[in-house]
Amino acid sequence: MSELEKNFHAPMMNVLLCVADDKLFLGHRNSDWTGIAPILEADIAFSSLAQDDIAHSSAFYELISSVTGQNPDQIAFSRQINEYRCADIVTKSDQFNWAAAIARQFYCNVYDYIRLQSLSNSTWTPLANLAKRICAEQAIHVDHVTSWIEHLGQGTEDSKNRIQHALDEYAPFASMLNESPEGIEKLFDGGVLINEGCLFTAWKEHVIQIVNKSGLTVSIEPCSVVGGRNGKHDEDFTRSLAELQEVFLTDPAAAW
Amino acid sequence: MVNKETIFQVLGTIPDPEMPISITDLGLIEHVHIDDTTIQVTVLPTFIGCFALPVIAKEIEQKLSELSGVSSVEVNFINDPPWSTDRISDAGKASLAEHGISVPEGSSPCTSSTESGDVELRTSAISCPWCQSRETTLTSPFGPTRCKSIHFCNACRQPFERMKKV
Repeated sequence: MSELEKNFHAPMMNVLLCVADDKLFLGHRNSDWTGIAPILEADIAFSSLAQDDIAHSSAFYELISSVTGQNPDQIAFSRQINEYRCADIVTKSDQFNWAAAIARQFYCNVYDYIRLQSLSNSTWTPLANLAKRICAEQAIHVDHVTSWIEHLGQGTEDSKNRIQHALDEYAPFASMLNESPEGIEKLFDGGVLINEGCLFTAWKEHVIQIVNKSGLTVSIEPCSVVGGRNGKHDEDFTRSLAELQEVFLTDPAAAW
Repeated sequence: MVNKETIFQVLGTIPDPEMPISITDLGLIEHVHIDDTTIQVTVLPTFIGCFALPVIAKEIEQKLSELSGVSSVEVNFINDPPWSTDRISDAGKASLAEHGISVPEGSSPCTSSTESGDVELRTSAISCPWCQSRETTLTSPFGPTRCKSIHFCNACRQPFERMKKV
């Protein structure tokens, strides 16, 4: 199906915003490391991850635009706080702690990959094709961040303690990646998205497997609060949004 | 009226902005449509939202507009079908190898049923484009452009780049 039926528009846009907003804000946070990462290769990697994430978010905003007719830049930068759908872990500052940056990246990348795999089975072909294509790029992100978890977990006592602390600190926020977007059941019922079972379980298993293999531990509980996916954001989000909008709002009609 | 052959000849002279290869050998051109004096070129980006796209579009528009019998040129980018490393021609692969850029063998995770979680970077012995040795190591999965990784050959002691398998 190349055209999305009108009654699926609202819930589908909600799902697409979750993906696009996650990637936009995570890309923004990753770009904090440009020029100052611990080694040159890590610097290039985080700058590339930021470029990839922001390019992916842009592709999803364009997909939304193809349905709603809104300008993709306007969608990205000029919504109200409660209209953003990212999970707030993507906006958490790592305070320039490398272990924290890796932990945040790890939780988010694994989730993104599993979510994209699921979206690539959509019967709405423009989404399925985009998701499948981005999945191939996202697999490289997961591979890279996995190697960092292994390095830090199996490195020195100090590196192990630092990554363990960061994994523990972010775990509750990471669970909130799994909060359901409003109306997604309608897309399952209508056969637009395929409900392949719980993304949370798949994500948790993947996370735990890599963490344990690296000699680390993690305790993950299901998300039980209403958060970013439903427009309820914390202070970190508000601060990140203000940073992102700073240039855009000086002239919202400017062409870039 | 301008014909497809002429158009492809012109497109074949346009280099990729980031690599020593023409956009036709890189497999970017999906479709050319001629409607009297209007030409539509459909292009597949290598990586989603690649930053070289506006440069490529401008170059195509400029070069084709110079042909006689052409009044306007439209360039569209689409993601379906997805571009993959399978689309690079043999001539293109040879040109990249000459410049120390290797291209993955085998079909990409986008066009086959291969589990795309299987990333080749850390798993298989990648061959060096300079000396063909498989005694190589990954330096970084992220390189000078989004579509390439950086490797080092332990046999000939040379660094090289590789197109990411997508």
